[in-house]
Amino acid sequence: MGVRRSSKLNLAGRGIAILWLAGTAAWACAQSASNAAAPQQPASQRGAERSVSDWLMRMHQASRVRSYIGTFVVSSNAGSLASARIWHACDGDQQVERVESLTGAPRSTFRRNEEVVTFLPERHVVRTERQEPLATFPNLLQASDSSIPEFYGARQVGSDRVAGFDADVVQLEPKDNLRFGYRIWSEKRSGLVIKLQTLDGEGHVLEQTAFSELALDAPVSMEKINRMMAAPPGWRVEKLDTPKTSAAAEGWQLKMPVAGFKPVSCHRRPGAGSDGMVQWIFSDGLAAVSLFLEPYDRVRHVQEGIFAAGATQTLTQRIQEWWLTAVGEVPSQTLKAFAQNLERRN
Amino acid sequence: MDDMRTQEMVSALADGELRGDAFARAVDVAASDADARHAWHTYHLIGDVLRSGEAGAGAVPDRFLTRLQARLRDEQRPAAAAVSPEAFRMAARVSQQPRPAAAANDGNFRWKVLAGVASLTAIGTVAWSLSAAPASGGAAQLARTDGSAVLANTQRGVMIRDARLDELLAAHRQMGGASVLPAPAGFLRNAAFEGPAR
Repeated sequence: MGVRRSSKLNLAGRGIAILWLAGTAAWACAQSASNAAAPQQPASQRGAERSVSDWLMRMHQASRVRSYIGTFVVSSNAGSLASARIWHACDGDQQVERVESLTGAPRSTFRRNEEVVTFLPERHVVRTERQEPLATFPNLLQASDSSIPEFYGARQVGSDRVAGFDADVVQLEPKDNLRFGYRIWSEKRSGLVIKLQTLDGEGHVLEQTAFSELALDAPVSMEKINRMMAAPPGWRVEKLDTPKTSAAAEGWQLKMPVAGFKPVSCHRRPGAGSDGMVQWIFSDGLAAVSLFLEPYDRVRHVQEGIFAAGATQTLTQRIQEWWLTAVGEVPSQTLKAFAQNLERRN
Repeated sequence: MDDMRTQEMVSALADGELRGDAFARAVDVAASDADARHAWHTYHLIGDVLRSGEAGAGAVPDRFLTRLQARLRDEQRPAAAAVSPEAFRMAARVSQQPRPAAAANDGNFRWKVLAGVASLTAIGTVAWSLSAAPASGGAAQLARTDGSAVLANTQRGVMIRDARLDELLAAHRQMGGASVLPAPAGFLRNAAFEGPAR
């Protein structure tokens, strides 16, 4: 039960990405400087020439150095709608964030770098989790290793206004059918992402996230957020333990890699069975796939298939005496490719 | 005069003013007399409008009941005997089914809506499987999984969203959020699929 809450209610998913990206920032700055015809020019003057890496680095940098307070809304093609209020502060090496859900069960999530604390006021429970240490992530934007430019192209498709801010609209187009496309509204001056759409192969919007209201460079007190992360007296603290492991050590491998997707990490998670389960994570830099593997249970594991919710697809399949649940913001054929290539080594 | 008396009685009944014998008498009249029933409906309609400012819904019950009975009589189904208490119970069950699902959990509803999407996905999957495995002759054969990769049952396309799957979805977004897209994207996605409190 505690485990379920732990994983379910934590909001700070993508926080990690920002952090390890920080490590690549210096590299990318040097890279774009050497690539650009006129390195002295400010980035804003050569928007049309920006590569996909330039765009992503710019967006990332914005979230690293700008403070803001805003309300964001997410909607999916399935009709769900949710919103939350976010406070974001940073001072170079520390980033703190506070997110208050405005829909559904009340909860507050705080993140300080890779430390995530979730408050569930209805149950008087505080959940703490530690994110993956940054060093273990591959530098997905690094030239020698990056699959992003190989699998996505970027082009500026226009300008627009979102939440009162002028934005560049950038389209990230996949170069094959194993990933979705993105349309991103990047605030003109800072580069901050203020709206994001996930698009399927036909260009239909699967999911959309946007700030409905945003105060950029708002005075956000890092200290105050830090103070709020302490568990109030009388609240129960739950801690989710997901020790690191490796796919090989767990007896799994891919016969063939799925184009563009690199293994990011592998963890053990507590599961319904006594053995728990393994979560093997892949990413192509923009989209992530998780393979959850656990011993097959004929009572619980009855329905194989592929299911969609917004941009998130889920595939369930029995593999010999094992049960695979693959989840990712990718087209279903990508999950099928993973399932086909997954192999048990005994 | 008598009519006037009836209406007053029904009015008092509708206002909840009657007790004891007077209440029993008024109920008898309202149940047996068409005019009284009409008045009963009218008073409630007036009450609804006064209270809410919106027109109360519904028609005079007599008219509805008469029409319903007529339609039931006209129903020339071979299984006429099926209009039995059991059939009514069945119908009631069927008509009630969607309600608890939608009210109890928006999440379920979402997955239901997704059935359409999922079956489209299934078609895509089948097409893909066909091109990947030329020997395959169609859906029936797809179900004959040999343990390697071919999916079975995708045509059903609908998964009952359970706590376990919710947990994995959240774990994916949490740990698997290995994307260079900025943080709000991950937050938003998780927020959206958290859905309402379960």
